[in-house]
Amino acid sequence: MSRAQRIRDDEAARTWTGGYRPYDLVKEASIAFGVVLALAVGLTILFSSPDERSSTIKSWSRTAPVDFVTTAVSELDGSSGLAGYGPPYNHASEGQHIAFIHLAKWFGVNIAIDAARDLVLAPLRSIYGQPALQTAITRYQAASAKQQAAWTTAYTDALNKATVGAGGSVSVPAGDYGPVSTMMASLLSFAQSGGLDGALLTNKQFYATDYTKALLFMADGGVLTNRAQAEDLLGGQWGMMNETGSYPGQVWLWLYTFWYQIKPFSTSANGDILVMAVMAALSLGLVLVPFLPGVRSLPRRIPIYRLIWREHYRSLESVDAVSAAEHPMPPPAAHLSG
Amino acid sequence: MAAAIFNLNHHAGFIHWHFIQLSVPNVIAIVLMLLVFAAAILAPFPGGRRSGGAS
Amino acid sequence: MSASAERSWTVRLRRRAVAALPPEKLLPDGQPTYVASWIYVFGVLSLASLASIILSGTILALKGPTWWHVSSIGHFFNSIHLWSVELFFFFMVIHLWGKYWMAAWRGGRKRVWITGAVTFLVAVPCALTGYVSQQNFDAQWISTQAKDAFNAVGLGGFFNLMNFGQMYSYHILLLPLAVVGLVIAHVLLVRKHGVVPPLELEQKLEAASRGTDPHRSS
Repeated sequence: MSRAQRIRDDEAARTWTGGYRPYDLVKEASIAFGVVLALAVGLTILFSSPDERSSTIKSWSRTAPVDFVTTAVSELDGSSGLAGYGPPYNHASEGQHIAFIHLAKWFGVNIAIDAARDLVLAPLRSIYGQPALQTAITRYQAASAKQQAAWTTAYTDALNKATVGAGGSVSVPAGDYGPVSTMMASLLSFAQSGGLDGALLTNKQFYATDYTKALLFMADGGVLTNRAQAEDLLGGQWGMMNETGSYPGQVWLWLYTFWYQIKPFSTSANGDILVMAVMAALSLGLVLVPFLPGVRSLPRRIPIYRLIWREHYRSLESVDAVSAAEHPMPPPAAHLSG
Repeated sequence: MAAAIFNLNHHAGFIHWHFIQLSVPNVIAIVLMLLVFAAAILAPFPGGRRSGGAS
Repeated sequence: MSASAERSWTVRLRRRAVAALPPEKLLPDGQPTYVASWIYVFGVLSLASLASIILSGTILALKGPTWWHVSSIGHFFNSIHLWSVELFFFFMVIHLWGKYWMAAWRGGRKRVWITGAVTFLVAVPCALTGYVSQQNFDAQWISTQAKDAFNAVGLGGFFNLMNFGQMYSYHILLLPLAVVGLVIAHVLLVRKHGVVPPLELEQKLEAASRGTDPHRSS
């Protein structure tokens, strides 16, 4: 189709000068609302909706105490996912980038979380009436970085041989862990009693709605991942589209999660920003369809429109036939043909 | 809690094809969309011939 | 009209509004004869689904975000809300497919397409904020996973999926306002421009360009 034809086609579509039929818009909208309500209520009665209870730090520390303590030590010694994350939580790394575009770094750290201080030391300091624990914390903080690393590394290695005692306590083989073993035992007990969930929630005031610290702590351990794997919600399982149980999920995220399954997105350290860039471009493309050559002319090339408007075209043909019979066209003048 | 008629709180089935892995409920939703789209276009519309006609 | 009425913002606004959308255009009682396909009902079905989402969401908001975990009536309305969202995306995508294959942006209707596409793109994060506001395991998982995408583009510090208070505010107020505003603009533009007429058949276009089509002036 030539550009001139496309412009003519476009202009012809501006107004409709043909016939109209009576139509009740409000009635149609009311019927549509009734239909949707019936469908929604029907689906509710048939299937309800999923509601799998949250994990808590309390439940995590009780059911998987070794995993909890291992994660806590990694937060303390800076080897956890959070500790090395970078912006917006800390400066441990520069965050993801595409070429010279370092959006994460440019926007910086604005949810500052010091993993060791905020997830381990501060909650331990808040435990009241345990002077031996406070002494242990002071001893840890006063030690050199090298000494601290020696203790935490030894303790982490020992956790590979840990056993769980009655009441959910964690025992490790004897070794030189300094104050770390005391601190971890207290943190575990605090978590198992439910105190750590609250301690990580409250900030400087009574009312709290921000679960960032508790969620990041749990995300560094296995508690959420193990449940997600069981429900096929992991990234490599196209999990972004999925819902818990056998419910339909977020089907509209199909293209977004698709990119994560293929290279280079699936193996790149900058996979997230790459996928976001591709999706931003495609989303812009969707919005600008009317301006994109090729994309805007596809509906004409693949004529599904002939099916949609088949009644209209048939009525045109019958009008043309009647008109041709009543008013036969003279042959085109020589200067107009060809 | 009032129970649903069909309890969907169990592990979903999955369809695997090469690297594509989709849950059965999601596949049902996608297939339904395609079928409904096709049906909407192909199904006859009542009163389609009753019209003032083109000019 | 008096000079003061000419200067009146109210009068000017009213004139522009009525000129663009006189009552018989805003609420017409006729439709073009070519509107004769079931594909045309998916716009209003999308609207109806949005109404169902808002209605069920309003009921959920009456008793707060914890209600549906502890009450079977609350769970019932949560289920309606969830299925309404599934229906909304179901009908909206079919509506989008239909409008694409009709090239419905023709004849000065590009803004209709644009507002519709942006509505879809805003509805996706609106749904996301809902998923992370559920206060259950699903919310925990989705928030801790999706945070990486937002952090990667520097938005995570301003849009924190793990901050329930913020996400709940976005979900029940800010993003629904955006969606509803876009939908209103979309529908008013459709009313203003009318439903797009059919594509001209190829042979008629060629005949028109040669000036031999009896239905077209050259």
